[in-house]
Amino acid sequence: MNDFLPLIPAATLVVGAIVLMLSEVFLASANRGYMVIVATLTSVVAAVAAFWNAFEPARSVLQGYAVLDPFSSFMTCMVCVGTALSGLVASSFLKHRNAERGEFYALVLFAAAGMSLLALSNEFITIFINLEVLSVATYSLTAYLRRGGRPAEAGFKYFILGAFSASLLLYGAALLYGATGVTKLDELERALPLAAATQPALVYVGFGLVLAGFAFKVAAVPFHMWTPDVYEGAPTPVTALMSAGVKSAAFVSLVRVFLAMKGALPPEVPYLLFAALALVTMVAGNLLAMPQRNVKRMLAYSSIAHAGYLLLGVAALFAPAGASAKAGVLAVTPLLGGTAVAAGDVYKGLLFYLLGYTVTTVGAFGCVAAIERREDETRTNTWDLERFAGLAQRQPGWAVAMAAFMLSLAGVPPTAGFIGKLFVFSAAVDAGLIGLAVAGVLASVAGTYYYLRVVVYMFMRPSPDEATAPFRHWTMDVALVTSAVAVVALGLLPGPVAQWLSRAGMMFGHF
Amino acid sequence: MNELYESRILNLVIWSPMLFALLVAFLPKGEKGQIRTATFVGMLVNLWACAWAWSRFELHNADEFQLEYRMRWIDAAGISYHVGVDGLAIALVLLTGVLAPLVVLASWTYVDERVKEFHIALLVLQTAMLGALCSVDTLLFYVFFEAMLIPMYLLIGVWGAEERQMAAMKFFLYTLVGSLLMLVALLGVYFIAAPAGQRSFDYATLYNGLMAANRELSACLANNPTGPCEGLSGPAQALFTWGPWMFLAFSLAFAIKVPMWPVHTWLPDAHVQAPVAGSMVLAGVMLKMGTFGFWRFAIPLFPTAARQYQHLLALLAVIGIVYGAFMCLAQRDIKKLIAYSSVSHLGYCMLGMLAFTAEGATGSAYQMLNHGVSTGALFMLFGFLYERRHARLMSDYGGIAKVMPVFTAFFVIVTFSSIAVPGTNGFVGEFLVLLGSFKSNLPLAYSVAATTCVVFGAAYMLWMVQKVFFGKLVHQDNLGLSDLNRRETLAALPFIALIVLMGLKPQPILDVLETSTTRYLARAGYGTPDSNDDAVRVKVQPLPRPALVELAPGAPVGLEPVGQVANAQPQPRILRPRTPVPSAVQPIHPVMP
Repeated sequence: MNDFLPLIPAATLVVGAIVLMLSEVFLASANRGYMVIVATLTSVVAAVAAFWNAFEPARSVLQGYAVLDPFSSFMTCMVCVGTALSGLVASSFLKHRNAERGEFYALVLFAAAGMSLLALSNEFITIFINLEVLSVATYSLTAYLRRGGRPAEAGFKYFILGAFSASLLLYGAALLYGATGVTKLDELERALPLAAATQPALVYVGFGLVLAGFAFKVAAVPFHMWTPDVYEGAPTPVTALMSAGVKSAAFVSLVRVFLAMKGALPPEVPYLLFAALALVTMVAGNLLAMPQRNVKRMLAYSSIAHAGYLLLGVAALFAPAGASAKAGVLAVTPLLGGTAVAAGDVYKGLLFYLLGYTVTTVGAFGCVAAIERREDETRTNTWDLERFAGLAQRQPGWAVAMAAFMLSLAGVPPTAGFIGKLFVFSAAVDAGLIGLAVAGVLASVAGTYYYLRVVVYMFMRPSPDEATAPFRHWTMDVALVTSAVAVVALGLLPGPVAQWLSRAGMMFGHF
Repeated sequence: MNELYESRILNLVIWSPMLFALLVAFLPKGEKGQIRTATFVGMLVNLWACAWAWSRFELHNADEFQLEYRMRWIDAAGISYHVGVDGLAIALVLLTGVLAPLVVLASWTYVDERVKEFHIALLVLQTAMLGALCSVDTLLFYVFFEAMLIPMYLLIGVWGAEERQMAAMKFFLYTLVGSLLMLVALLGVYFIAAPAGQRSFDYATLYNGLMAANRELSACLANNPTGPCEGLSGPAQALFTWGPWMFLAFSLAFAIKVPMWPVHTWLPDAHVQAPVAGSMVLAGVMLKMGTFGFWRFAIPLFPTAARQYQHLLALLAVIGIVYGAFMCLAQRDIKKLIAYSSVSHLGYCMLGMLAFTAEGATGSAYQMLNHGVSTGALFMLFGFLYERRHARLMSDYGGIAKVMPVFTAFFVIVTFSSIAVPGTNGFVGEFLVLLGSFKSNLPLAYSVAATTCVVFGAAYMLWMVQKVFFGKLVHQDNLGLSDLNRRETLAALPFIALIVLMGLKPQPILDVLETSTTRYLARAGYGTPDSNDDAVRVKVQPLPRPALVELAPGAPVGLEPVGQVANAQPQPRILRPRTPVPSAVQPIHPVMP
C-alpha cells in the first residue's frame, strides 16, 4: 500500500479531470461556474497530499519504476499550486471568451498529473510516457481557442517540435539501453560505467540525445526556438501553466536522469555541457528578451533566461571537486580548494527557485491575461507594452501586483525571485563557478531593463485614450492576489519554506 | 525593562515610517491634506525615535554596535535580522531622521498629482534607508540597499521632470550592476569566512572569520609584496586569489552609489530630473550609503586589498574633486551645478577616508553629515525657486534678491556652508579631510589638487549666487515672485540652525564619530605587525532560540550550541543548525490526525 503513496496526488488529479469531463457531458447546464472550483479544489487536495508525501522517507517504489522522495513530492506540490492558480486565471479568461468547457480543466489536470508522475519516474520508459501525457495535454491546450490562425500555428509547432524532442529522448534512451540492457535509472547507474568503457560511442551519443531531449523541454538555448511562438500563440493561462509546470517537471526529471548517468563519464563532461548550456541560455534569453515590445513574448524569452539560471544550479551540482582545466568563464575554481558542493543546498536552491518562479510567472501571465481583450485576438498588437500604459491609474491593484511580479523576475529584494537567485547563486559560488555566477548576475542586470520597462509603462506613462474597462471576474483577482502575496511573503519570510525544502536534499539515491 | 526598550529602539526607528505608510494607504485618495499631514506626523515620530536612539547611544561603551537586536530570519541561508548602530551609523540615522520631515514640508505643494503614492513611496524609502544604516547582518544590509532603489526609482520616474524615465532607468540599472557584483563577492566572503555549518552573513562572523586570513596574508605580502605566497592556509589562499576581486566588486557597488568618477554619470541626470524630495533624499542620505559601505564593509573586510588599491581609489577621488569642480564652472543649469558639486564634495569624503589617518577619517565622516545638510538644503531651496518659476538655467534668473530677500539670505548661508566658510559646518569637515590627507602617505600632489579645488568650489558657487540673486532683474517673469511663505521658512530654518550649530560646536558629534573612526582605522590598518586583534574584533550577538521554525512539520533543525568559530580565539558561543538526519534512517512524518 505504501508503494502507492506517491501516486495519490496524480490519482487525485486524474479523478478530478474525469469528474469534470463527465460533468461536461451529463450536466448540460449553461452555468459552468462550479468547474473552476472543482479544478482548484482537486489541485489543492493533490498539493496537500504531495506535501504530506514530502515528509516520507525517500525510497524506491513500484518495483523501482518510481521513487518517493521529497524532491519529487515538493515538485508535485508546486505543480499543483501552479495548476490551481492557472486554473483560476483560466476561468476568468475563458468566461470572457465564452469558451469555458469541462475539457479545458480536464486537460489542465491531466497535464498536471503527467508532471507529477514525470517528477517521480525513475525509469526511461516511464519518463517517456509521462512526458507524453503532459505534452499531449499541453499540445491540445495550446490550440484550445480556435479563432484565428495563431493558436493552430502554435499548437502545430509545439506538437511537431515536442514530438521531435521526445523522439530524441527516446532514441537516446534506446541507445543507452543498447549499451547496458537496462532502463531503470538505479540499475543504469550501476551498469553504465562498464558500458562506457566497452561501448563509449553508444553511451556518449545516448547521453547527448537525452540531454537534447530535455533541453527542448526546459527551453534551453539553442533548443529554445519553439518557445516564443508557442508561448505567444497559446491561450495566456496555458502559457502560464507551461512556463511554470512543464519546465519545473522537466527540470526535476533532468536532474534525476543525469545524476544517475554522471558516474560513467569523466566529471568534466556533464559539467561543461551544463555550464555551457547555462551560460548561453542566460545570456541569449536576456538579450533576446530586451528588444521585445510584446509583453507575452518578452515573458517567453524571460522564461528561457530563467531556465538558464536554473541550469546554473544544475551545473553547480555537476561541478567537479577541485579546480578544473582551463575553460575560461566556465572554469571551476573553488574558493577553498577541493570540497564538493553540498548537493542538498543545490536541490533546495533549485526547488525554491522553481517555487518562486512558479508563483511569479503564473501571476505575471495572469496579469497579461487580465488586460487582454477578446476582440484583440486576431490583431498583432494585443500584448504590446502600450496596453500596460497607465495601468496604475486604471487598475492600481493589478499594476502593483504586476510590479511585484516584474521585480521578482528581476530578482530584486524583497521578493521570492531574489531569495531563489540568492540560493542558486550561492550554490554556484560554493561550487566554484565564479565566472559563471558573474556572467549570470550581469545577464540578470540586462534582464532588469526589460522587466522595469513594464513598470515604467504601468506607472509612468499616461493611459491611452481608447482604453476600455477590462473584464473582471473574481477568480482572476483571487489568483493575482494569491500569487502577489506569495511572491512578497516568500521574499520576506522564506524561513519555514526553506526549512521544508532543505529536506529535499534527500533525493533518492543522491543525498 | 530598560533593556527591553533599548533593544527595540532601532526597530521603532526602522519600521515606524512603514507603519505610517500602511496608515496612509488606507486614507482616501482625494484627501491630500490628510495624507500630507499623516506623512509629516509619521516623519516626526520617526525623528523622535531617531533622536531617542541617539540619546541612548553611549560614548564610553566598549561595544562597537549598540542598541542591538537580533532575530532569526532565514536560518537555511545563515541570514538573521540583526540591527545595531555604531558611531557613524547613529549619526547618519539622526541625519536621515532630521531630513525626512523637511522633505515632506518641502514638497507640500510641489507634488500635487498622485499624492498618496508619493507619500507612501517617501515613507517606504525612509524605512529602507534607515534599515540599511542599522543593519549589522550583511545580507539584511543588501536587502535594504536594493529595496531602497524601488521607491527612489518611482520618485524620479513618476514625479520627475521631462526626461524622468530615462533618468530613473539609468539610476536603477547603474546601481544594480554594482550591487549584484557585490552580491557575488559577498557570497564569496560568506563561504571563505567560516567552514560549512558555521556560516552566517552576520557582520561578526564575516569579519572575525577573515581576521586570521587577513593577518596571514598581509604578513606574507609584507615580506614579498608581489607574491606569490606559498603555504598559506585555505582561507588566506582564497583571499590572496580572490580578495582583490572581491574588494573591487564591493568598491564598484559603493563607488557607483557615492558616486566616484568615472561611474558618476547617472547622478546629474537623476538629480536634474528628480522632484525636490527625490533630490533631497538622494543627496542627503542615499549617496552616503556609498561612503558608509566603504567604511563599514569594503575596507574593513579586505584591508590588504584596500591598502593595495588605496592610491588608485584616492586618485579617482581627487579626479572626482577636480572634475566635479570644473564641470560646475561650465554649468548653466543650476540643478546640474549642485549635482556636480556633490560629485566634488563626496570626492573629499572619499579622499579623507582613504587617507587612513585619524583626521582624515573623522573629517570624512563629518563631511558625510555636512554634505547631507548643505546639499539637501541647496536642493530644497532651489526647489522652492523652481516651483515658482519652472526654470533651471541661470540665465533665467538674475536680481532675485530684490524680490525674494529672505530666500536669498537662506540661500547665501547655505552656499557658505557648501563652500566651507569658517563658522559653518562645511569648514570643519573639509579642513579635517585636507589635514588628514596632507598627513597621510598619499602623494602630496593629491592633497594640493584637492586644496586648490576648494578655491574653485568657492568660485563656482559664488558665481552662481551672483548670477541668480544679484544684478538687475532682467526677466519680467521674475518680477512677481513671492518670497518664502511660512511653511517654506519653517522647512529652511532647521537647515540654517544645523549649519551654524555644526559649524560652531562640532565636538559632540565628533565625539560620537570618534568611536567609529578609531575602529575604522584599526581595521584599515589590520594585519600590519603592530595591529591589535582586540581593537577590531566584532562582538558576537548570539541568535535567540527559534520559536516559529519548530512549527514546520518535521523540521529537521534543532539547535545546539557549537563551540568556536574557525580562528581559535575565545569566542562567545554561537548557535548553528544541526545537519539534517537522513530520512532513510529515521522517517519524519507530520502528525497524523
